[in-house]
This record gives sequence, structure tokens and C-alpha cells, in this order.
Amino acid sequence: MNKPSIVKQLDEKDMRSLAGVGVMPGKDNYAATLVVRDQETAYVRSDHRDVELLPIAEAFKRYDWLKTEYSFKAVPAGYDEITRQCAAMERPIGYFIRVYKGAHVTLPCQTALYMATGGMDQAVHNIVILEEESELELITGCVSERRVATGRHLSVDEYYVGKNAGLTSTMVHSWGKQMQVFPRGGVIVEENGRYESNYISLSAAQLVKSDPQTYLNGKGASAQHLTVILGTPGSEIHTDGNVFLNAEDTNAELLHRGVCIGGKMYQGGLIIAKAPGRGHVDCAGMLLETKGDGFIQSVPGLQSHHPDARLSHEASIGKIVPEQLEYLMSRGMEEMEAVSMLIRGFLGADVIGLGDELDAQIAEIVEIAGHGEE
Amino acid sequence: MKTNILEVRDLCVAVGDKQILNHLNLEIPDGEVHALFGQNGSGKTTLMMTIMGFSGYDVTNGQILFKGRNIAELDVSERARLGMSIAQQRPPTVFGVKLRTILDYILRDTENPQERMTELAASAKMEDFLSRSINEGLSGGEIKRAELLQLIAMRPDFAMMDEPDSGIDIEALNVIGGLINQLFSPDETHPVKRKTGLIITHNGNILRQLHIDKGHVMHNGSIGCSGNPDIILDKVSRVGYEECVHCIETRCE
Ligand SMILES: Nc1ncnc2c1ncn2[C@@H]1O[C@H](COP(=O)(O)OP(=O)(O)OP(=O)(O)O)[C@@H](O)[C@H]1O
Ligand SMILES: [Mg+2]
Repeated sequence: MNKPSIVKQLDEKDMRSLAGVGVMPGKDNYAATLVVRDQETAYVRSDHRDVELLPIAEAFKRYDWLKTEYSFKAVPAGYDEITRQCAAMERPIGYFIRVYKGAHVTLPCQTALYMATGGMDQAVHNIVILEEESELELITGCVSERRVATGRHLSVDEYYVGKNAGLTSTMVHSWGKQMQVFPRGGVIVEENGRYESNYISLSAAQLVKSDPQTYLNGKGASAQHLTVILGTPGSEIHTDGNVFLNAEDTNAELLHRGVCIGGKMYQGGLIIAKAPGRGHVDCAGMLLETKGDGFIQSVPGLQSHHPDARLSHEASIGKIVPEQLEYLMSRGMEEMEAVSMLIRGFLGADVIGLGDELDAQIAEIVEIAGHGEE
Repeated sequence: MKTNILEVRDLCVAVGDKQILNHLNLEIPDGEVHALFGQNGSGKTTLMMTIMGFSGYDVTNGQILFKGRNIAELDVSERARLGMSIAQQRPPTVFGVKLRTILDYILRDTENPQERMTELAASAKMEDFLSRSINEGLSGGEIKRAELLQLIAMRPDFAMMDEPDSGIDIEALNVIGGLINQLFSPDETHPVKRKTGLIITHNGNILRQLHIDKGHVMHNGSIGCSGNPDIILDKVSRVGYEECVHCIETRCE
């Protein structure tokens, strides 16, 4: 019943690009997999009876309610130029995921938005629905092929987390140096629902403007966002977004971790309390840039409409602390090894669980930062 | 005749504008464990940090020879890999880096590293702290144990310990004493054949657990007096450093 109709082949080059952001089509330890390549669905596989994964166009055909109840409800179609372009697609591209009521899917579901051809726009619309009491881990890789330098990626991501449901979303970006990336996300969380999002940008595009809106609408709903950015020269990365505490006992935590060796990095995020909930924003930046053309700007924000809401924020920007570096070196580590270990620790790499891909990127950053000091 | 694993010759060290070590001389023969005494601020920690090669301690005169080699040009990590290690008096907190991560690194080339780590952590009663950031939120005594745990895992030829016995309870002292003994006499069948060490202590508690070959009293940035560690400690604990200092100063004249 859930069997999708499209299964295409990805070539070796595609697989290599996808592996770089932790997406491995064909592996068995996933509940379902879908890959969008350029402006077509290139791979679909679904192995789990409780997870429905379809190309979005097919889902629209199958379910009338998708259009009327979900599509462009968490992200307004007319929000900006990006959403308008996504809404205007004649043949929408993207994925639809539905986890049935009460299903605890233990294997992760993986999706990829992959650009194999340069110089074009990739516009996608994704909808994820977790019915009541269900649980899902979603891994999304957004990547361009190694030789693709230019292009734009536009996306509308709408996630609906039902009552007592839990969604963990890990999104890894790795883009070509002159790409422009505009994700528009909207997440609606119902009573006691839990939304956890990890956003990791390994290889920075020329311009990233991410502005997700999270609505904690049900009592006891919670959201935790971890944003990890490695900023390189020539990049400009904005990670903003609002979290609305719309019901009592809601809880939001926004964590930003950025390492900058060049380029412009803007850490933002605003928690808006309309009910007695709790919120905390924590921005931390590590500036390894020494030539003066890179910066980190941290602006954690709070807005309260309710006297019983408890909101707080903190922010700090610094460099590698020499005492910590020498401490690790006194255990026998070479300087570069110690720098890597400190960056990994700072980014909470263990928590994200992105072993090799992240390590490779950190190694590159350390290399560049090391040369910068001479 | 034994060779000296460490020789400090006519060493002067400045921290910022302030000269702290003053033409200091010290020799530690291979296989001996020495104790370092001295008033607060006499320069004990400065000496150890300088030997280890930490920045901020500027050698303005003299030399440090380790295993017969002048180590002036070596950085901290090169010195560590040459076989020296330190358990610091006041180590920094290293946010995000877990004790387990460092131990993984230290033990990477040993056989069964995971077993060895578990065993070491258990013997130091530090199992619960492996997943915490280095020294983050640890009590004074826990920091000492974490430092010693790493130092022991490194199995250095020359181990420096800066007040391993300050601010810890009696039970922990026994644990630490056992660990240090194991470090210095790794071969139980040949306990006399030992590794080399230098231990700073004020209360001498740790000395009751170990065999110390020689004691030194530091005064004004140099070694004022050397001799039997028990006699020195006995004297200091009865009459205090005042008299010790007086003795050193009058002898100098
Ligand atoms: N970073 C520093 N900046 C300024 N002065 C310093 C610094 N480090 C050490 N000193 C000074 O050098 C002197 C020796 O300090 P050191 O820490 O070596 O003493 P110590 O013998 O280990 O004392 P204690 O028994 O209290 O540990 C002290 O007067 C101390 O204030
Ligand atoms: Mg000291």
C-alpha cells in the first residue's frame, strides 16, 4: 500500500555527494529514503509499514486533505519571494512523510535535496506529518555535487508534530562556494509534542538565509534547536528564526555554535512568549579568523507578552583559549590535534553523532586557520 | 653511578615583569622520587610549569636538561612525548572535551584501551566523571583525581605532581597513594626499580603512602635546602617555615 512508484538509480558520483552529508540510499538500516536530484525525484524506497514516504506531487494526488489542511499552513505561501516561487511550481518536487498514529519508528528516515547541476534553481516543498503518539528520526542531507559552484536552493519545509509525538530532525548542509540557500521552515507542535532540530552547516555557501518558524501550540509542547555552523571566507550565513510559546508549559531552547575562519556569521533566534512557557537562547561563537575580514554577530532575542513566561539568553564569542590548548598538548597532543579536539568539543560533535563527515570538515578548517596564523 | 633524568641549572624564570625563579639548581637521578616543600608563593608551581614548558613562564637564564637533552626549544607536547607529565595544581576547565576523550587519546596505543580505561577509572573512583567535560563542575578532590588519572594513564618516565594531597579526604588519599605507588613501581616483582618523580606537598600526607628519596625546600625562587624528606617535614611541621627560612638565610650569609 505504501510502495512508492518511482525507484531510479543514482550513480557513483551522486552516492559520494550524498555520503558527504550522511545520506546512504540502499542501506538497510533506514525506515525509508527519498532523494531529490535537481528538479526530479531520483530515488524512493520505503521499508516500514508505519511510515509513508512519497514524492510530494504523488501525495497531493492521493490525498485531497493534504492541500486543504496542511499545505502552506505552517509556512504561508505568500510569505516572501521564496515561498511564492515554491508555491508556484507546476509539478511540485519534494517529499511527503507521514508516520501513523502510535508508531514508534526506531530506524531513521533519510531524505536528500541534492543539486547535481549548477547554475539553476532547485525549489522544493516538503511536508512531514507525525500523527498522535508517533515518533520519528529524520535525517536530511542538503548538498551540491563537488563541481557545482553556483545555483540557488529554495525550500519550504512544513512539519506537523501531533499530540504526544516526537520528531528529531537532523539536517546537514554542504554547499558549493557560490550557492545561495533559502530554507523556509514552519513547524507546528501540538500538546506534549516534542520537536528537536539539529542543523549543521559543514561547508558554507555564499549566502544562507534560514528563518524557521516554530509554533508550540499545545500545552507542554517543546522545541530544541541546535545550530552548528562552520563559516569559511566568502560566506554569509544568517540563522534566525522565531519560536512561539503559544500555550502554557511550553519549553524552547535555542543553541547556536559557530566556528568562523572567515566570512560573515549571524547567529539569531527569537523566542516569543504569548503564554507562561520557558525559553532560553544560547549563542556561542569561536572566531579563528586572524585577517580581519570575518566576523560573528550574535543577537539572541526574547519577546514576552506574558508576565509568567520565563525567558533568558546568553551569548559569548571568543577564540581558542591558550590554557586549554596547552593543557591538551601536555597530554601529548600536537597543536593541530588539540585544536581539532577543542573545536569538536565546542561544537558538541559527540552529541550530533556525525563522525567522519564533521571530522573531515573540522580538519580542513583547522588547516586553514593554522595557515592564517603565520 | 645513576644518571640524572632531570637537571635544572641556574634557572631564572619571569612571569610577566616579575622574576619568580632565581638561579635555581636541581638534579633528580633516574629512578628517584623527590619532594618539594616551601611556603606559599615560593615558586614551586612555577618550577613545574616551566619544566613542562607552559607559556607565560619565560626562562631568562639557565637550562633545563631532560634525559641529557636541553629542552629549551621544545613545546609542551614535545616534552610530553619525551616522557614527562604533570598533574597540575590548578588545571583549566576544558569545555566540551570529556575526560573519556582525553583518556581515549592517551591510551590509543595500549592493548585493550577500553578495558584499561575502565580499570583505571574504577581504581581512581572516577567512573561517573568520564562523560563530563574536563574539570567542569568538579570538586577540589575530584580535580586531583582526574589529573592523576590522566597522568597515570600516560605512564610518564618523569611524573610531576603539584599538591596531589591538598584538600582531599582520607579515603581519597589512600586511593591516590595506591595509584601513585603503582605508577612509580609498575613492576611488582621489582619494586625498587622505580620511575622518577617530583611531588609538591604542604602537609606531607602523601609522603606517608610513598617512599621518597629526597626532599627540597624552596625559598625565594630557589632551592634553599635539600635532604632527608622526613626530617625536613618533621622540622617544618614542628617549627614552621619561619625557622626553616631563617636557617636557609643565615647559612647563605
Ligand atoms: N601568572 C602570574 N602572574 C603574576 N604572578 C604570578 C603568576 N604566576 C605566579 N605568580 C607569582 O609567582 C610567585 C610564585 O607562585 P607559585 O604559584 O609558583 O608559588 P607556589 O610555591 O606554588 O605557591 P603555593 O604553595 O601557594 O601553591 C607568587 O608570588 C605568585 O603570585
Ligand atoms: Mg603552587
